[in-house]
Parts: sequence; C-alpha cells; structure tokens
Amino acid sequence: MIANTNILSEDKVKESILLRPVSIEVKDVTVSFPTPKGEYIAVKNIDLEIRKGEIISLIGHSGCGKSTLMSTISGMVKPSKGEVIVNGKKVTGAGPDRGIVFQNYSLLPWLTVYENIYEAVDSCIKGISTDEKHAIVEENLAMVNLTPHQDKLPKQLSGGMKQRVAIARAFAINPSVLLLDEPFGALDALTKGSMHVELLKLWNLDNRNKTIIMVTHDIEEAIFLSDRIVVLNNGPAATIKEIEIVGLPRPRNKKDIVNLPEYKSIRERLLNLLVEKFSIEDDGVKFEE
Amino acid sequence: MDKSNQQLGAATLKVVTYRTGRFLYFLLGMSFMLIIWHVASLSTDGELPGPIQTFSVFYDLVSHPFYDNGPNDKGIGNQLLSSLERVTKGFIIGSVIAIPLGLIMGSSTLGMNLLNPMVQVLRPVSPLAWFPIGLVAFQSAQTSTVFVIIITSLWPTLINTAFGVSTIPQDHKNVAKAFGFSTFKYITKVLLPFTLPHIITGLRLSVGIAWMVIVAAEMLSGGVGIGFFVWDSWNALSLEKVFSAILIIGLVGFVLDKTFKSLQTRYSYDS
Ligand SMILES: Nc1ncnc2c1ncn2[C@@H]1O[C@H](COP(=O)(O)OP(=O)(O)O)[C@@H](O)[C@H]1O
Ligand SMILES: [Mg+2]
Repeated sequence: MIANTNILSEDKVKESILLRPVSIEVKDVTVSFPTPKGEYIAVKNIDLEIRKGEIISLIGHSGCGKSTLMSTISGMVKPSKGEVIVNGKKVTGAGPDRGIVFQNYSLLPWLTVYENIYEAVDSCIKGISTDEKHAIVEENLAMVNLTPHQDKLPKQLSGGMKQRVAIARAFAINPSVLLLDEPFGALDALTKGSMHVELLKLWNLDNRNKTIIMVTHDIEEAIFLSDRIVVLNNGPAATIKEIEIVGLPRPRNKKDIVNLPEYKSIRERLLNLLVEKFSIEDDGVKFEE
Repeated sequence: MDKSNQQLGAATLKVVTYRTGRFLYFLLGMSFMLIIWHVASLSTDGELPGPIQTFSVFYDLVSHPFYDNGPNDKGIGNQLLSSLERVTKGFIIGSVIAIPLGLIMGSSTLGMNLLNPMVQVLRPVSPLAWFPIGLVAFQSAQTSTVFVIIITSLWPTLINTAFGVSTIPQDHKNVAKAFGFSTFKYITKVLLPFTLPHIITGLRLSVGIAWMVIVAAEMLSGGVGIGFFVWDSWNALSLEKVFSAILIIGLVGFVLDKTFKSLQTRYSYDS
C-alpha cells in the first residue's frame, strides 16, 4: 500500500516538473484547414509547455482536434499561426527525434510486420551496421510480443496487433519524443494493461528521459500513465479547457492507486469536464467517443 | 488422419467437379456457336465457309506452321511470330516511355498540367492515323507498324500509371514523412508498390489493344504478319483461312490477356 503522505501536493509536482528542461513548446498555435466551405479552424490559441520526460495525455471529444494538435507537434501539419519548438528547434517538418503512432496504424500493406519496422529503423538511425538495425527490430518486436508474427502482412493481423506493430515501429527509432495517437484504442483490456506497463518500463529504462504525448479516450488510462492531462474544448476552434495535474507518486500500481482519494478526485474532475450532465455515480463509467 | 484425408478428398472432388462443370458449360457454348455458324453457312449456300471446311483448312495451316516458300507464302507460325515480334517491340518501347511519363504526371502538378491536355487530345485518335507519319519518318512499312504499336501502348499505361501515383493514400505518404524515408526509399517502398497494380492494369489494357491494332496495321503495311495473312487470304478468296486466322488471333489474345491477368493477381495486395 502506498501511504497517503506520499502524495505530492500540486505545488510540489509543479515545482519538480519545472526543474526539468523544456522539451516541447506549443506557442499560441492555431491550425486551420482549407475546405470547400472556407477555412475550418480546428484548434485555436493553444499554449502548452511540456518538460523533458513528462507524460501528457490529451483528452477531448471526438473531432475536437487532438490528432491535429499531434500532427502539428510532429511537423506533419503546419500551424496557420504560432509555432512549435521541440528540443529547442522550431518544427518545420517531421523528424526522427519524434516517433509517431498514427491513429489508424498506417502500416505499409505490402511490407511484412518485420519490414515495416525495419524500413523505419533503416531511415531514422544512421551510422550503425545492418546487423545492429536487425537487432533493434527484433528487440522491439519481442517487446510487443509479435516475434511469431513477424513475417505476416498487415492484412493478416487483428487491429490490436497492427497497433502493436505501430508502437514497436515508433519505439524502435528511439526518439526523444513519442507522439501516440490513441495507441491502445483497439486493444482488449488485458493487452492494454500489459502495454501500459511496457510503456512505463521503456520510459523508466531510459531514465524517464523520453517525453510522451498520448491521445486517449480512457480516463483511467490517462490518470495511470500521465503527469498532466490536457482537456480540450469541443471544436471548431478548440482551445485548452483545463490542464489537470496528476500528483500520484511513481511507480504507480494500478490496483493500489484506484483507492487513493487523489485518484478519485482527479477522475471526478475529469468526468465533470468531459461529461456535461454527469449525474449517476457509476464506478464502471468510462469516457467514450 | 483418415478424417483429414477424407476432407482433403472432398475438397479436391469439389474443385474437380467445379472445373468439370466449367468445362461442360464451355463445350455447350461452343457447340451452340458451331451450330449457328453451320446454319449461317448453309443459308448462304456455302459462300460463307462452315465450321467443317474451316477446321480442315485450320488443321492444314497448323500442321505445317513454319514453311517458307518465298516472301508471299509463309506458314501461319511465321506470320504469327512476326506479328508477335512487332507487338513485343512496340509494346516494350511504348511502356518504357509511358511508365516514367505516367510517374511524372501522377506525382507532380506541373507534370500533370503539362502532359494531360496533350494526352487527352491524342488518346482518342486511332493509332492507325500515325501510320503515314511513321512511313515518312522511318521510310519503312515494318518500322512504321512498330511505331503504330508504340503509340497504341502509350495511353492506357500512361493514364493508369498517373492515376496510380496520384491516388497514393495520405496515410502512406505520412509514414514516409514521419520516418524520414529518402526519395529512393519512398519510390521503392511506397510509390512503386502502390502503383504497380495500376501499372500492370495499364499494361494489360495496352497489350490487348496493341494486339487488336496489329492486325489492322499489318493490313496496311503488307509483308509478313497475321494481319497481312488475313488480308492476303481475303484477296485469295479463302474465307476458311480468314476464319482460321480469326480463331488464332483470338486464342493468342486470350493467352496474352491471361498472362497479364495473372501478373495482376500476383502483384495486387489488399490493405
Ligand atoms: N486535413 C484536413 N482537412 C480538413 N479538415 C480537417 C483535416 N484534418 C482534420 N480536419 C478537421 O479538424 C477537426 C479535428 O480533427 P481531428 O484532429 O482528427 O480530431 P480528433 O483527433 O480530436 O478526433 C475535425 O473536424 C476534422 O474534420
Ligand atoms: Mg484523432
């Protein structure tokens, strides 16, 4: 059992976060898309400062612009106003310092599981031998338990397996920032649980140096994994509604933290932010699309 | 063990009966056609040769396919081979031009804007209209025939290749961007694998049309070739030979199409 006294006050958490160097700065970012009906503003005036090694969750209703914000940080989408700075450099395009798990997996259908990961490693990691590249691919395949399926094509995989390939691919290039767009959405509860643990293990292995931004619809998942949870307003022109600080001490244990009052109060606050007319107390309730 | 063997046996039996079924339908359709042909022949008092006369001529033709009695009297095999040779040359040259042009057209707006109007205007023109141009340019009826086939093979391949490239899904492009694929890797791991089925579709259409056009082109050019053979047989008033040639042209076209169809199946993928 974790004693209640271990729970860090919000101020203390803020303080400890502020000791770390800045990893990502989203400065007054507005993203709009040209549509036949004119400009569509997806997200507006987003300001966010993320420190090195933080795990941040983005939560918000479907279509509010979570993926758009992720794409802006990854450099796939250019902001129409403002700028994003990653590791001190202004983002002008995608780069191997940011590993992406796309919402729809985006595996290349003509490449096997192994090749999908290998091509990413081959492009992103320079200056190592082919043998070392293969070793990296094998290690990451084993991490997501897909070694027995390495020669299959994406069409032969279930949704959850595809997601694990996409995760392995993003991890394999060893980026300093991981951008995960609903990475565990298609997984069953059991696999999801073990992937959470794997994610935290990897993060710990690297001395908690990797910054992780994750889009999710799952409040429990967000609380279990994150340091801070960014709640977005509904679009169009979505802004940040609230940033919740999760002061639960690490390492966290799923079974234990659910009993902490801090956990319950965060969960309550998130539910109130996300579900407009929340009235029935139901422990099993989850925020869905 | 026994059980699985039985199952296997049942499955094989199913395939066999399916194939036999298909074959029976084929025979039925063929007999139907032969009867109509026969009746048509009778109703013209034999002016139009019937299946029996045709098949005896056909048999003569194919039993000595490669004799050579001078420039105007060669076996059907020689005629066929020289047509196939022209189609192959024209088709290969045409494809070698069309595929890169299609890739350029599909991948750049500038390429599309430059090439598309020209393609749209030239594509509807019967390739035979290029024959005189070829004659002037190459001073040879044979080369001019190949030239006509080159023109024929351009359009379907060009258009399908360009379409393929221009429809590469954004998702695939995003992968290449996100993981920093080099241009070479993008071309070999994204662009070509996605476009290949479209290119093969284009090639299949091209070769089909080329095989149709070669007959007409050789009627114009003379010399040796299956098209010339048809024309020559008509001049010699041997409709049996014309019918035989039609059969052979049809069979060869069928085989060509099947070959490209199997390529299509081989290189298609579903996402
Ligand atoms: N390329 C685009 N062109 C036009 N509209 C877009 C584009 N990408 C996203 N949008 C719009 O922006 C809004 C936010 O989309 P998205 O970021 O995918 O939402 P979320 O990931 O939160 O579900 C949606 O209304 C979507 O239709
Ligand atoms: Mg999304």
